[in-house]
Parts: sequence; C-alpha cells; structure tokens
Amino acid sequence: MPDTDGAAKGVGSVKRQLQVAIILAIVGGVLTTAAFLMAFTTARVQTFGTIDAPAAVETTYPPAPAAMQPTDGTGVRYQRPWLSQKIFYFHVPIAEASFLVFTLAAIFAVLFLVKRKQSYDTRSRIGMETTLVFTIGTMITGVMWTRASWLTNWSQLGREMLSEPRLATYTIMLVFVIAYFVLRNSVEDPERRAVYSAVFTIIAWIDAPISFFITRMVPSNHPIVFQSGMDTTNLIPFIIAQIGMLMLGYAIYALRVAEESSRDTLTVLKEQLEG
Amino acid sequence: MKVSAFRQYRALLRKDIVMELRTKEMVTSMGLYAMLVLIIYYVALSQAGQAFDVTRIAAGLLLLVVVFTSMLGLNRSLVHEQDQGQLEALLLAPVDRPIIFFAKATTNLLFLAIVEVIIVPFFLIFFVSGAVVPTGSTVAVSQSGPAWMTALALLIGSIGIAGVGTLLATMSVNTKGRDFILAVLFIPVMFPLLLVIVSALSAVLTGDAGYAQTFWKMCAIGAGYDAIMIAVAFALYEFILGV
Amino acid sequence: MSERTAAAIQVTDLVRSFGARKALDGLSFQLPAGAFLSIFGPNGAGKTTLLRILATLTAPSKGTAQVFGYDVVKDSVELRRRIGIISHNPLLYPDLSAAENLAFFADLYCLENPQARIDELLSAVELKHRRYDLVRTFSRGMTQRLSIARALLPEPDVLFLDEPYSGLDPHASDILDGLIRSVRDRYTFVMVSHDLDKGLELASDVLILARGKKVLYQQTADLDREAFRTLYRETVGLGVS
Repeated sequence: MPDTDGAAKGVGSVKRQLQVAIILAIVGGVLTTAAFLMAFTTARVQTFGTIDAPAAVETTYPPAPAAMQPTDGTGVRYQRPWLSQKIFYFHVPIAEASFLVFTLAAIFAVLFLVKRKQSYDTRSRIGMETTLVFTIGTMITGVMWTRASWLTNWSQLGREMLSEPRLATYTIMLVFVIAYFVLRNSVEDPERRAVYSAVFTIIAWIDAPISFFITRMVPSNHPIVFQSGMDTTNLIPFIIAQIGMLMLGYAIYALRVAEESSRDTLTVLKEQLEG
Repeated sequence: MKVSAFRQYRALLRKDIVMELRTKEMVTSMGLYAMLVLIIYYVALSQAGQAFDVTRIAAGLLLLVVVFTSMLGLNRSLVHEQDQGQLEALLLAPVDRPIIFFAKATTNLLFLAIVEVIIVPFFLIFFVSGAVVPTGSTVAVSQSGPAWMTALALLIGSIGIAGVGTLLATMSVNTKGRDFILAVLFIPVMFPLLLVIVSALSAVLTGDAGYAQTFWKMCAIGAGYDAIMIAVAFALYEFILGV
Repeated sequence: MSERTAAAIQVTDLVRSFGARKALDGLSFQLPAGAFLSIFGPNGAGKTTLLRILATLTAPSKGTAQVFGYDVVKDSVELRRRIGIISHNPLLYPDLSAAENLAFFADLYCLENPQARIDELLSAVELKHRRYDLVRTFSRGMTQRLSIARALLPEPDVLFLDEPYSGLDPHASDILDGLIRSVRDRYTFVMVSHDLDKGLELASDVLILARGKKVLYQQTADLDREAFRTLYRETVGLGVS
C-alpha cells in the first residue's frame, strides 16, 4: 500500500529531524553555558565602564574615583555596574537569534505562497512562535542593559522604547509577532488563515532589516557592536555565545517542527487505520 | 474584444464614486467621526492653561485624527464589496488583480483626501492659528510654515495609508472582528510612516528655524516608505484574493 | 492556449487539498458541450470547491480542469470571458441602478457596443421599465433576474449555477425556471443544488459527490429515478462526517 509507505517515510524523516534538533540543542546549550561562565570569569571588564550624568542623580551605582571625574567640574561620572558588560554577551546573541528565526518564518511564508503546502505554513508559524520567545528575551536583557548602562529610570526607558530608533523598530517587531497570532486566531478557514498569515509575515519582516541596520544609518544611542573594539578575552566568549545562541534558536525551532510533523504523521496514520 | 486595463480601472473608480455620491456614506461617516475627535481634543486640552503651546503637539493630534478616520473608512470600503459577494463578481471578470487593488486604493485615497480637506482647516483654525507662544502671553501670529507643506506631508501619509490599508482591510474584512483586526495589523505596519510624517508635520506647524530641511528629509523617507510598501502590497494582493 | 477538445468540460484527477483535508480527491469526468450537469452531494462534499475551480476562483492542488479547452490555471483570463455565474448571492451593487450595474460589468468585460447588449438583456429579463431604479429597491426575484442578465452579459459559453433557487419564493423560482429553460439550448450548464427535483428536471447529466470523490456520474437518459433517489439519500447520510 503506497499510503502506508508514505507514512513510514514520514516517521523516518521526523526521527531524523528530531536527532538533528537534539544535537543542535545540546551543542548550542553547551556553548552558551561555556560563554556564560567565561563572561563571568575570564572576560576582562573594559575601560569604558563609566557613565556621565549632568548632575548628581539618585542611583545605586558608585561614583567613579576622584581622579576620573570630569575636569571641568560639570556633571558627575559614575561607574557602570559590571552587569552592563556581562549582559551584553547574551543580549546580542539572543537578538541575533530572533532575527534568524524571524527570517526563517518569512522564508517559509514566501515558500508557502508559492507552493501552498501546509507544512510550510506550519514552519512559518513555528518560526514566529520562536521569534516571540527570542524577542521577549531580547527585550528583557535589553531592559537590564539599558537600566545598567544608560542610568535610565522606568519612565525614561518607556520614552526610549519609542524614540530611540533601534528600540522603536525592535518594539514594533514584537508588536508584529503578537499581531500575527491575533490574526491567526481570527481566521477560521485553514487555508485562508495560512495565506493571510504568510502575507502579513512578509510585510512584518520588512521591519527586521530596518531594525538591524538602523543604528548604522541614523544617529542612535544604541551601541553598534561590531564597530566597538574588543580584546580577545571578551571577543572569544562573545563569539561562542553568538554561535551557541544561533544554534539554540534553530534547535528550538526544529524541535517544535519535529513535534508538529510527528503529530501530523500520527493523524495520517490514525485516519488510515480507521479507513 | 480587447481587454483594456484603463477602461476597467476607470469603471471601478466610477462605480465607487457614483455609489458614494448617491449614499454619501463614507465621507459623512468619516467626516463626522473626525469632527467628534476634534471635539474630544478640545475637551482634552480645555484645562491645559494659557501658557501651553499647542503647536508642539499639533502634528501628533492631526495625525491621530487622520489615522483613526482612515481606519473607519478602509473598513467600510471593503465591507461594501463583501456583503453581497460583489468582490467575487469582480474576480470572475477578466480583470487583472492589481487593477482591482489600484482602483480600490485610489478611491480610498480620494475619500480620505476629501475628508482631510474639510477637517484639516478646522483643526488648524481651532488648534494652531490661535496658539499662544509660551514666552509671552500675547496671541501669536501664526508662525507655521506654508499650508502646502502641511498638505504635502498629509498627502504622503495618506498615500501610504490608502495603499497598505487597502491590502490589510481586504484581509481583515474576512476575519472575525473586522475593525479590531484592521487596527492590530495596520498600526504596526504604519508605525515608521507615522513617525516620519509626524516629524515633517511638526516641523511645518511649529515653523522652528531650519524646519524646511527636516521637512524635506522626512518627506523623502516617507515617500520611499510609500513606494516600498505599495510595491509589496501590489505583489501580495493577488494571494489574498485567491482564497 | 491549450488545444481544443470536443468536451465542454474536462476534469482529470482533480485534487484540491490543504494538509490532510481533501475537498476534492481525484475527481475525473467529461461533459459534452450543450449538456446540463447537476451536481448533488451533502454539505462539504466538494461541490462548491469544484465550481470555484471551474470558475477560476481557486486553483486545483493537483490534476487539471479545462473548460472549452481553456485550462483553469494557465488560461484563466481568457476563460473568465467565457463563463457566467448565477449564485444565490446576487453579486450586484445595491446602490447602483440596474442599467449602471450592467454597464459597470460591461466595462469590466470590455464589451463593444455595451448599450445595445444591455437593452437587449434588460428586455429579456423583463426589467426594462425598472432600468433606472436602484437594485436596493428590487424584490428578491427581480434581483435574481438582473443577476441572470449580468451573467449572460459577456455572451458566455458556459453558465455556472450555484444554488440559484435558494432564498427565492415559489413565484420567483418559477420565473427563474422559465428563464433558464428559455436559454437552455444556447449554453452549457453546471448546477450545484440541494433541490433534487429541480436538479433532475433540467439535467442531462448528474454527478453525485461525497467527501470529494465521485459516487455516480450518469446521463439522465439512462437513469433509474428511484434508484437514484435512494443512492442520493445514502450519500447524504455518508457525507455527514
């Protein structure tokens, strides 16, 4: 019976998907953990760890030593807490992973519109789910970093979120992902839902390159990572964290895909048994 | 029989305009809604005090009324095509799908522009021209830039709203909770354009030194955004109509 | 353009599926020109899907469908000029007059000399005296007559009838019947209907669908009516899944 063959093949490919995903998850997990440990042990705190305020402000940060205070007597210089440097080893990789899975979602959205295979819609949707997780991760680590590094309080942070170009475009990316799921839930016909979702994913994805490159195009408070110099004790854990997190991002996506396709295969097999 | 795209486009436009002239449904509902928003602005600002310089936030207020009014209109214009299956009749005719998109976007732009022509002068008279300069307490002579600049910024904004809005409204009209879904999809997509237009409008309305430079830069970015988004909407419209 | 075949409608291994759900599952049949095909089947059997594919509104997932030699995917634009559809939805603009509605569709089809054609059709459906009135003011039956005029406007080769009787009172239904009979010889018809009597009365061919598959395809000439009714009832029971 050809149908059972197809299902058996389905089981085989799900198995392979699962193996790859698990290996990637383990390797990615090990690398990120290693980077985490290195960031807190071997990585040297660099000299840019101070921040100026126009006047004395209420903060938990210690003032910089007297020798380092501004010479013209205006404002106060504070020491940046070391967290502002440590968080950066995770904030950047998580953000990169979010762009990776978002791009995967967009690629499968295009593929879906061309080929109309439901599995592409499923992949695109899972890509968006993973994007949601990593976008929230980026936002949380970003808030931690901003609080530590820009001396901002909560109301300033709210303003930065919509006025600082990188933060604004990234916040909108999160809104897009949420809007995507609202849209999905409001369309009943599965094919129409898939088409609308794919179209919206493509429109939303245009925001990703804008968000990625905007700090290089317009004046922004957000640091441009690859242009600030780093010494090797920083660079190595940073690179490891990036590779690890990208693997982890893909692994989470692939695990969910394997889960969904095994569910689909199960449905097909069940239907065959019932005749 | 030769298919003439222009004849089809013209027929689609004429149909919407004739129906609107007959019912005046879109323009009256959008215009009335916009007026009500202005009244709410009046209430909201009534306790702001003499020293408050409204021109600083005028651009934002103006854009707000345009965005909310346009969402109302976009939703309406597609519901018109949907309730008796008329859109299906259009799809059965030998019409290229992009023509349907451009015709609908054009009429949406036209109706939005008509409402703006009515509402914007009101807004400027009530909220901007009589504004008090914060440094003194005298009634200021309007310091704003020329009116055509305000119009240009609004036009660039409206083109983007009509273009992308037509695509999104065609989707949202087939979902549960039409107008809510339209807002959820429309506002994030429009966000960059709104930001750019509000800063162009703000430059004109406050008329600060060197406002023209900011204005032109923002208008250029806005026009670029319009071009990209309309191209994307154009490419994707066929898929939405195909299900 | 594809090569013309003798058959008016040629459907080969047609599949329309999304994921595991199959609206049409390997359907094949052939309908000669001038025939009247009635499609029966329970809800969700794939009748509407089949009609939408033949009318170029949805694309098949697999297989091919040709209408007068035009492929529904490759030659969709040419094909659209050759089909008319009469649905339970009038597909008309209520805020336009009868004449304006027809003139609008004449422009979409880019008809030459549309005015003469519109006059001719309005007389045929006996609406000439109401030509300047808004469709909004029409009764259900008058709207349906106008929608027939709209369907006949481009002088199609084939007419698709999608539950044309639903929502009509007996009088309007009789008028519609008369109209269809009067043009019966000029077109090829495909009708989807729940009304077994109406469907059988007009049909030259019948097709019963269930779960996207062909249960029966036969010419009415050699059809045992009683056996057919029994089979239909069984199929409807089968389809409720």
